[in-house]
Amino acid sequence: MIYEPSPAGPDAVSGFVGAGRSAGVRAALLRRRSRFGDGAYGALRWTGAGLFGAVVLGLLIAIASDSSLAFQHSGLGFVWSGTWNPAADQYGAGILVVGTLITTGVAMVLMVPIGLGTAIFLSELAPRWIAGPLATLIGLLAAVPSIVVGLWGLLVLTPIFANQVEPFLASVPFFGWLFRGEAYGPSILLASAVLAVMTLPTMVALSRTAFAAVPVADREAAMALGATRWQVVRRAVFPAARAGVSAAVTLSVGRALGESIAVAMVIGNRPAIPESLTTPGATLGSAIVNQFAEASPGIGTSSIIALGAVLLLLTVAVNAGGQALLRRGSGAHPGTAGALR
Amino acid sequence: MSLLLAASRRELVRTAARRSLGRRHLIGRVFQGLCVVAAIAAVAPLAALIYYTVSRGVGMLSLSFLTHAPTPPFIPGGGISTAITGTAEIVGLAIVLAIPTSLLAALFLFERSGKLAGALRFSADVLTGVPSIIIGIFAYAVLVLPLHQFGTLAAAFALAVLMLPIMIRADEEAMRTIALDLWEAGIALGARRGRVARSVVLRGALPDLVTGNLLAIARAVGETAPLLFTLATPFAAMTLLIYTDGTQAFGAAQKTAWATALVLLAFVLLLSVAARVAAWRISRRAH
Repeated sequence: MIYEPSPAGPDAVSGFVGAGRSAGVRAALLRRRSRFGDGAYGALRWTGAGLFGAVVLGLLIAIASDSSLAFQHSGLGFVWSGTWNPAADQYGAGILVVGTLITTGVAMVLMVPIGLGTAIFLSELAPRWIAGPLATLIGLLAAVPSIVVGLWGLLVLTPIFANQVEPFLASVPFFGWLFRGEAYGPSILLASAVLAVMTLPTMVALSRTAFAAVPVADREAAMALGATRWQVVRRAVFPAARAGVSAAVTLSVGRALGESIAVAMVIGNRPAIPESLTTPGATLGSAIVNQFAEASPGIGTSSIIALGAVLLLLTVAVNAGGQALLRRGSGAHPGTAGALR
Repeated sequence: MSLLLAASRRELVRTAARRSLGRRHLIGRVFQGLCVVAAIAAVAPLAALIYYTVSRGVGMLSLSFLTHAPTPPFIPGGGISTAITGTAEIVGLAIVLAIPTSLLAALFLFERSGKLAGALRFSADVLTGVPSIIIGIFAYAVLVLPLHQFGTLAAAFALAVLMLPIMIRADEEAMRTIALDLWEAGIALGARRGRVARSVVLRGALPDLVTGNLLAIARAVGETAPLLFTLATPFAAMTLLIYTDGTQAFGAAQKTAWATALVLLAFVLLLSVAARVAAWRISRRAH
């Protein structure tokens, strides 16, 4: 049958136009309009884009130029050198980088299974009257300021960790060595727990979006073949949503790496290689928060800004990866990811 | 003979299938149970967080706490009025800076495609994930260091930079919900692009624009790290007050921190709820 656009139906007409629309025609139309008229509006738009571009460039240039003194003083070794001793004018980010990676890693070990399980529960298992309100609740909790989570970690979790959690973990056979040493409360483990709570809503929201983007027909096909619910999730839903879930994990990692104020409140701030997870430590972010006020002008301040430069490189690399994954996993919109955090 | 073999073979397959089904159901049950446990484990700490903030903060809360200026340590009767007005001023100024800029930049991204637009979009996506403490360092480097002055302006600049990429991407996303056909129809009618942007794109996208911008503002209200580098006194913003009072070892300061945290939490959650309600109301009126 030959398709004939009905003259009466606006939908049919626009469908017909849409089918024949070429990007070239649109671009030509746009160029034409921008050459004639629209002067004020065009200038305004350019101003907006230009201001934003200037902010991005300005940020990069400011961080680079203000940290250059530190890199001149310590050399590139600043990034991996282990000593941080402002009194002796020795500055190195190595231990802080290690602390940042360990804290984030432990936080992800705690958070990812829980976040993934919750997302599967919300999108595959729960009836709608539970899933809807629960998802809204977790979405709202994404808005809880990090300082409030930090306060809760400091004043509520610290005594619980010092008196119950850490002594218990130290007594667990085979894994006790991970948690040996005096239980003070403020520790890498506590910081990781706080980070896990903070990144959980992002993880749940993003992986739920990824699951929701998997076509219902995929699930029905698996069920028709006799798959149980678990097999539907494992064989049909999860493979299709893999890129979206990876993006969720990556963006959570990015957030955990950069979180500073809440971590500074609970980690104990001891820039040394940790003997176990229950000893105090320090991260790039927490060191910036704690050292900034006491930094000597010049080389001290510049070294703090250099810590920021290292952190910036780390997070930009992780987030660029996350955004690339997010684009590959078609379901999630990068734009809303930002608003959700 | 062969008939008998076929029958016994069918029986074998059947029992195997039955056994496999039992095993698969068992694994499925375990997995479903684990997911329920995960959901509970996810909600529990978040619920505990809210519970502790409310129960420890509510005792201190009163009208005079909200309207009185802070007093020196150990002198009762102090409030957090300077912190509330400080946060309002900083965020207000940041909004004035960020909303027009982000809206125009989003229109730019919406109407243009090409390398420049792609690069800006990518920078916005990546900048959304840049730690807020680095944005604080940026504001410190470009405003505080050269001018030798901490204050509202530097803090507002930092929060504006923080909100800018979030708002740009949310705005653009909102504009993309408008059918391209409508935009083209406006152009085809001979309307100038500025006119189409105002009457078609912005009007049509309004509910989503309001939601996205309110969520970005809610995020900025709760930020601490950028203020650490741009404000000289903790009494000038709620989040800084929570940080300095919460990390002190005596009870009165901690009580103030909890009460301030409750005020902040209530305000931020109100903004997020308002964002969702506003979108719902406006979209209902439009149709």
